[in-house]
Amino acid sequence: MTEEVEKILKGGLEVEIVPVEGELNVGPQHPGSGHMRIFVRLNGDIIEDVDLDVGYVHRSVEKLSENRNYIHLIPLIERPAILDSIHMNMAYIMAVEKILNVDVPPRALYLRSFAAEVNRIASHLYGMGIFGVFMGHSTAFMWGFGDREVWVEILQALTGARVTNSYILPGGVRRDITPVIMEMTEKAIKYTRRKLNDWKGIFVNNPNIKARTQNVGVMTKENAIRWGAVGPNLRASGVAFDVRKAEPYAAYDKLDFEIPVYKEGDAYARTLVRIEEIEQSMKMLEQIMREIPQGNILSDRFFKQIPPIRLKKWWEGQHRIVMPGYYASFRPPKGEAFARVEAGRGELAFYVISDGTAKPYRLRMITPSYRLIKVFRELAKGSRYADLVTIYGSLDYFPPEADR
Amino acid sequence: MKEYPKKENPFKLLGQHLEAIGTGLKYLVKPTRITLMYPEESMVLPTGYRGMIRLYKDVCIGCTLCAMVCPADAMKMVTEEGKKLPMINYGRCVFCGFCVDICPVDALKETGVHDAAFTNRRELIFDPDKFSQDFDQPPTMDKPVRKVRAKIDEKKGIVYEPDD
Amino acid sequence: MIVFPGLIFSLITLLTAIWAERKIAAKIQMRFGPYYASKRIGGYFQLIADAIKFGLAEIIVPSNSIREFFILGPILITAFAFLPMAFIPVSQIPSSGSITSPYYRFFFDKFAGISLYQPIITPYSLLFIIAVASVVPILTVMTAWASNNRFSLISAIREGILTVAYDTLIIIALISMGIEYHTLDIASIVKTGVPGIIANPIAAFVFFVALLMGTARFPFDVAEADTELVTGAFTEYSGLLFVLSMAGPYLLTFVYSLVFATVFLGGWLPLMGIPGAILTVIKALIILFFSVFMRSVYGRYRIDQILRGGWKYFFPAALLALIIGMIGGIFL
Ligand code: SF4
Ligand code: SF4
Repeated sequence: MTEEVEKILKGGLEVEIVPVEGELNVGPQHPGSGHMRIFVRLNGDIIEDVDLDVGYVHRSVEKLSENRNYIHLIPLIERPAILDSIHMNMAYIMAVEKILNVDVPPRALYLRSFAAEVNRIASHLYGMGIFGVFMGHSTAFMWGFGDREVWVEILQALTGARVTNSYILPGGVRRDITPVIMEMTEKAIKYTRRKLNDWKGIFVNNPNIKARTQNVGVMTKENAIRWGAVGPNLRASGVAFDVRKAEPYAAYDKLDFEIPVYKEGDAYARTLVRIEEIEQSMKMLEQIMREIPQGNILSDRFFKQIPPIRLKKWWEGQHRIVMPGYYASFRPPKGEAFARVEAGRGELAFYVISDGTAKPYRLRMITPSYRLIKVFRELAKGSRYADLVTIYGSLDYFPPEADR
Repeated sequence: MKEYPKKENPFKLLGQHLEAIGTGLKYLVKPTRITLMYPEESMVLPTGYRGMIRLYKDVCIGCTLCAMVCPADAMKMVTEEGKKLPMINYGRCVFCGFCVDICPVDALKETGVHDAAFTNRRELIFDPDKFSQDFDQPPTMDKPVRKVRAKIDEKKGIVYEPDD
Repeated sequence: MIVFPGLIFSLITLLTAIWAERKIAAKIQMRFGPYYASKRIGGYFQLIADAIKFGLAEIIVPSNSIREFFILGPILITAFAFLPMAFIPVSQIPSSGSITSPYYRFFFDKFAGISLYQPIITPYSLLFIIAVASVVPILTVMTAWASNNRFSLISAIREGILTVAYDTLIIIALISMGIEYHTLDIASIVKTGVPGIIANPIAAFVFFVALLMGTARFPFDVAEADTELVTGAFTEYSGLLFVLSMAGPYLLTFVYSLVFATVFLGGWLPLMGIPGAILTVIKALIILFFSVFMRSVYGRYRIDQILRGGWKYFFPAALLALIIGMIGGIFL
């Protein structure tokens, strides 16, 4: 009997019959894979197992760090997540500051929070755009990127670059906020509030998007903790954890904000958390602009080293500080430090060991996306093939950040 | 901890469908566009934008700080007529602006130019002479290029206003 | 004599449809869309430029595909998507006073009692349209099979499952109109002067949704889903064959839009002759534009959700339309 079937099959059609169970190579060149290969084992429409082949955008940041001066690392550290570069920069600098033992003036702390929140909004909008286009919603894609542009414009005015800001230095920040930037931010907040209403109309409340995301990729509270999920994904699973609250850094201990937490743990809850975080961030920005204290933006220890003529020209003239020669190759004392921040995608941790030379002895960075690899794999098991991209997008997984 | 409402009635669902279509129609009738019509329009970047860098040769004291701080090894020192001067390789530069910030005599300056194109890699290396000239490559057009400035607008996001 | 104007006409509508899709999406999405190729007319020539570019590109046939079917697939899809136009009356030929009046006798439809702009006169035009158009999904499945790509195969399965769902809806919706008007001849339906959308709004709604499903428009784009299946059945195509594989579904959308315009929107009435034909096409274009506008509002549903929607909500709705058709038939 089977022989007959085989004969028939071999006879007419010369195409290999793909069994109901089969493997599918999604990526590395695939519109829905990003910089990685997702090796999917399918049983009908159900995913039995996925293997994430990551590392296509590995930059060897950790190893390179052992061969670069501390200051040289700032632009390099940002590269893994350029759309979230302020956070990358900040966590690294916070670790270095702990080793150097410098105090940061309050105005600089507020400015760090300001830049970080602007960056968080931009990063969330970017993530939602990618999420939208993964589900075929091209308007969300374009809106995400277009509305992000407004915030990127503010970062550009503040730091001088659109994404690779290199804004934060040991001991402070490089540029001060001006009334022009404050006015821009106020307008941007008004615009984004209006636009978020339309986002809700066309994307968040759209029955189509709801159908695609609700009960998809459900991560229970226990699983979220066990798999080590971080950031908005963790908060969408009902765990109220946010580094900004748990271990306040920058100016977050002085800012009032809530962390949105949802119970369901599915893709829709993750989207809602992001949308609400954007609202919270805008609230924080308003508070920062109201309450920002006057003062210096660089620790006195370094500020005093700036030549007086330059100080007059740059700090008094243009509200930006310049670097004293000290930065070119400084040697922090022996020691080690750990610092963590709440980046756009979740907790980001840096561990730096200094052996007293101008280069770190060891630098370890644990990025939020790195932790999502496991989460992504576990969530994809047992879902439908069409939900692979939904889970991917809803986690806001960013391959370069994971590969580092 | 919040929960989103589940189990919605069909009428609300229909309403949300209509709302989505209505939002689409709203933007179809009144589009808000943020495209910059390059090259007819070209953006003037804000002061302090970290674009391409220029050197003031006579001011430089040859202290090598800029080459030391450069994270990408883009800035290198050369000796020209007995004087040490920096040269830059734009193939490596990451436009971090550290060199500008650290120069003790302000011999380096950020220009607002960033849209330049080169035909080969050798042209990317600017020796001190080329480095100490203003560099600009306006888009080549038969019509004059309108210089615009990006402004944030409450209604439209970003608008471009002519720069005067 | 008839095919050539038809071909050129459908080429133009095709380009217009794609251009409109891109422009509409661009307007909603904060951008301009095609523009530089011809600034005065909103970048319309961009489409022609794209078509030429694709036309001159190399056609790559994968070595482990079934060569003949692989090449025939898109050609047949386009042909079968175009053929139903032969059965759609676009307007009525006045017996005198128009430049087309000499053809009055030639295209006389003795069942409806009027003369029509319809290449093939038959009293069963609705049936023929359904019959010819329903070949297209079979050809899509064949194409997917022939290209021997796993993404295409999944797409073929999705297309196959989907076909059953939407073809049923299309057939029931049209049959209920047939029952209501006691005829399967589109011209007779139009001649009654009562547009179908008033006589049977539910059938119109079901037909429109089935139109979106049947021609892979959003939100029912599952068989082509580019982020999941890399345009599904047409993953392996390039060059002119790719243009044809794109053109097929668009043509089919236009065909269904024409059916919608005539059956449900009253066709050429109250005009006649060439103005009437223009009116029909305008009505059809509005439907076409609306169906491509859906791209900027929706993402895509999952296949199981479409099937659930199709069988659980739209199938009963279609049956309801059938009942309305029976009741309405008493009065019409
Ligand atoms: S901008 Fe940065 S990378 Fe470029 S030359 Fe200056 S220090 Fe080097
Ligand atoms: S830091 Fe300034 S003065 Fe020193 S070498 Fe560089 S350009 Fe010249």
